[in-house]
Amino acid sequence: MDGNSGFFYTFFNLEIAAQYAPALGAGALITLGTGAAVVVTGTLLGLLLAILRALDVRPLTMAIVAFADILRSLPPLVILIVLYFGLPEIGLPLSAFLVTWISLSLALAAYAEESIWAGISSLPAGQMEAARSTGLAWWSAMRWVILPQAVRRAVPTLTNRIISITKNTALGSVVSLNELLNAAQGASSMSGNPTPLMMAAMSYVIIFLPLVVFSRWLEKNWVRG
Amino acid sequence: MEANPILSISELRKQYGQTEVLCGVNLSVKRGELVCVIGPSGSGKSTMLRCCNLLEMPTSGTILANGHDVMDPKTDINRMRQDVGMVFQQFNLYPHLTAVENVSLALCKVQKRKPAEARQLAMASLERVGLGHKAEAMPSQLSGGQQQRVGIARAIALQPQIILFDEPTSALDPELVDDVLAVMRELRESGMTMLVVTHEMAFAHAVADHVVFMDGGVVIEHGTAKQIFENPQQTRTKSFVSRYSSRLAH
Repeated sequence: MDGNSGFFYTFFNLEIAAQYAPALGAGALITLGTGAAVVVTGTLLGLLLAILRALDVRPLTMAIVAFADILRSLPPLVILIVLYFGLPEIGLPLSAFLVTWISLSLALAAYAEESIWAGISSLPAGQMEAARSTGLAWWSAMRWVILPQAVRRAVPTLTNRIISITKNTALGSVVSLNELLNAAQGASSMSGNPTPLMMAAMSYVIIFLPLVVFSRWLEKNWVRG
Repeated sequence: MEANPILSISELRKQYGQTEVLCGVNLSVKRGELVCVIGPSGSGKSTMLRCCNLLEMPTSGTILANGHDVMDPKTDINRMRQDVGMVFQQFNLYPHLTAVENVSLALCKVQKRKPAEARQLAMASLERVGLGHKAEAMPSQLSGGQQQRVGIARAIALQPQIILFDEPTSALDPELVDDVLAVMRELRESGMTMLVVTHEMAFAHAVADHVVFMDGGVVIEHGTAKQIFENPQQTRTKSFVSRYSSRLAH
């Protein structure tokens, strides 16, 4: 039949779509959950490292810079595979979810630290001095004067990094995390039809487009403050 | 009691690497006095001032500020800094906070006052510098002179025993200088103790109780404003004030 080889039959087959929708839905939830976990821990860890770097303690700063530089030069996929296949060798096997979560959090933390640190160090020294001169302790000055300004300055680069690192949850498929892409690949090979892959692509857009739009809004409305 | 200096600096030294910026400064300020520090750029005036509340760590010497031994490691620096206010050349207002929030931040976070009370005190300080009507403005919406007056309000809100002014009008357009100086005169009349590093010779001449002339990291001469400007004893003082005095004569 003509339809059997037609474009819609191949890429947008409703029958197959209906059959594998539950599996892809479950995969999308895992993508969403892993992504959210990575955003939270990666950004918070990056923030913490940037604050520690601001303490200006030489060995600490060197360790943080080394961490950030090394993790930024490693492809996230390599971190993922090293952890997933390496850790069991030292008796510490982690689940696919944990490995994906940790790897991407570390990668995001490295970029977040650099962005937030750039924000902190771009502020005039007078800001910290003025705050300290009124009796604010270092941490209070950081919390109420430095960070609110530094984070605002970091937002444009930070949101870009968050989006690009979070999309890497798709790499979890390599270590058999049952996220969206992995579910779609499985469904696609079982059905012998690429429709599930198209569904996955559309799902990614549905999940990440709001994040992209939100980051644009944030840059426009908050950064200038 | 009244005779006791509220700030006394002795043999203050500050080195950056091999460069000695302060080479043994002695200076004292009594309660209610306005002391102006004048001198050429690079004479160490600002560094001396910044040592008084430990924004710069002195290399050696002694500083007593309202009974606090500033350089004693056991001194609670944050407590001491509430007694020693500071006004900066570049104002250093927090650009993400409104004028009244700039003033109330330390009232809330350091003195732990309730928000309503902190706001009330902050408003009172802003009224004192004539900016009650600008309470909700962001610093970027204020002129330089207004920003500096908010800076002064931020310092006086904590009810310090002395305020240090680090060239408070040097970053201002000439027409904005007078507003700030007027606020400082008023503070002086209300009995606030002030140590002012300044290039405003006319202000120092007219308002200061004492004037200190610094050059090369030491106090060259100190005396009443009249003595320093009208009858300086040291050659370097003479040549420094002569440009100002010759303008007065005309």
